Amino acid sequence: MRQKRAPLTTQGRLAWLAGVLIIAGIVHLCSILIMPQIAPNTPYARIAARTPVNRFVLLPPVAPGESALPFEDPAMALGACRFDLTRGPVRLRGQLAADALVLLSFHGRTAQTFYAMTDRSALRGAIDVVVATRDQLDEIESHDTEDELPQELRLEAPSLQGFMLVRALAERPSLMGEARERLSSLSCEG
Amino acid sequence: MSLFPKILATALAGAVLGLGATYASLTRGIGFEAVKAGPWRGTPQISVVGGDPYARARVSRSGQVLLGTAEGLSFSAAVDSTGARLRTGCDYRVSGATPVARNWTLGLARPDGTLIATPFARYGFTSSELLRDARGDFHIDIARAARPGNWLPLPGEGDFLLVLRLYDSPHSTSAKTLEARELPTINAERCS
Repeated sequence: MRQKRAPLTTQGRLAWLAGVLIIAGIVHLCSILIMPQIAPNTPYARIAARTPVNRFVLLPPVAPGESALPFEDPAMALGACRFDLTRGPVRLRGQLAADALVLLSFHGRTAQTFYAMTDRSALRGAIDVVVATRDQLDEIESHDTEDELPQELRLEAPSLQGFMLVRALAERPSLMGEARERLSSLSCEG
Repeated sequence: MSLFPKILATALAGAVLGLGATYASLTRGIGFEAVKAGPWRGTPQISVVGGDPYARARVSRSGQVLLGTAEGLSFSAAVDSTGARLRTGCDYRVSGATPVARNWTLGLARPDGTLIATPFARYGFTSSELLRDARGDFHIDIARAARPGNWLPLPGEGDFLLVLRLYDSPHSTSAKTLEARELPTINAERCS
């Protein structure tokens, strides 16, 4: 005759509970780590849905119900250049005229800011930034001559795709047109 | 119960618990690296290498582009200076000394980061357009009825946040040591 299985002992229950907790921990960590890859509305995805590749475009003004990105400042004029380095480096150039606040930031595909600066770090208002992969940077550097320093800022992108975001402050709502004008001197070349 | 269903139940319970913890940490900001100063919560830039995986997951899910350290630092407040939740039934006064920044702005937003439709398209104030008193301090009244001075219209309903953005500010590199008195206070005035 088969012996009836004994009900779970306290120790047995604890073992199963520990199993549940260990699995929960693994699932939790994995889902947190993979989130930047699987989230549908990453900053990159939002920018990619609204902008062409390797071209600098102005984004529509931040307004209720219409914003390319959440938590953007309505006092800022926004411009973006989505880049794809598959066919070569991408260069952001332009001339910022007045002493008015302009923020520039460079982002990879997965919510990473790999570089950020303001108009204050531009030399006499000139913006000249090259975004490239490590290999492309090596290629560019191999053409550098010893006695001439490179004029442009060179940045290594963490991924082939990404975007540059430029924000120009309108100090009053009536100056929004002027802030957008300031951005329109920028261009992106692939 | 035989062994197989037991293992299945364990795996299922573990998965539900694990995903629940992920959801909670992403929506409630549990386990999230943030700067706290009074009612304000700041979100500093996430470092490219290493850094907080929770912060990265949360940002990719929200779609927000955080300000880089060189650009500045943004704060949001869901409570007033006494810790009570901000609600549309109250009028608020935001006041204080000028935060240290080249420019700063203060405005309202929904908790999901969208703007709130208001009369006259007045969404916030920049530091250069604020009216100030003789000492350089300022008050911003957030109320439904129009006020003289710096007035931000309060939405008729729904949750809202106050968003303070400091641009080109030394605070963005030393944010960990920020004190509440360096940022404006938020006081409820009249509640209905």
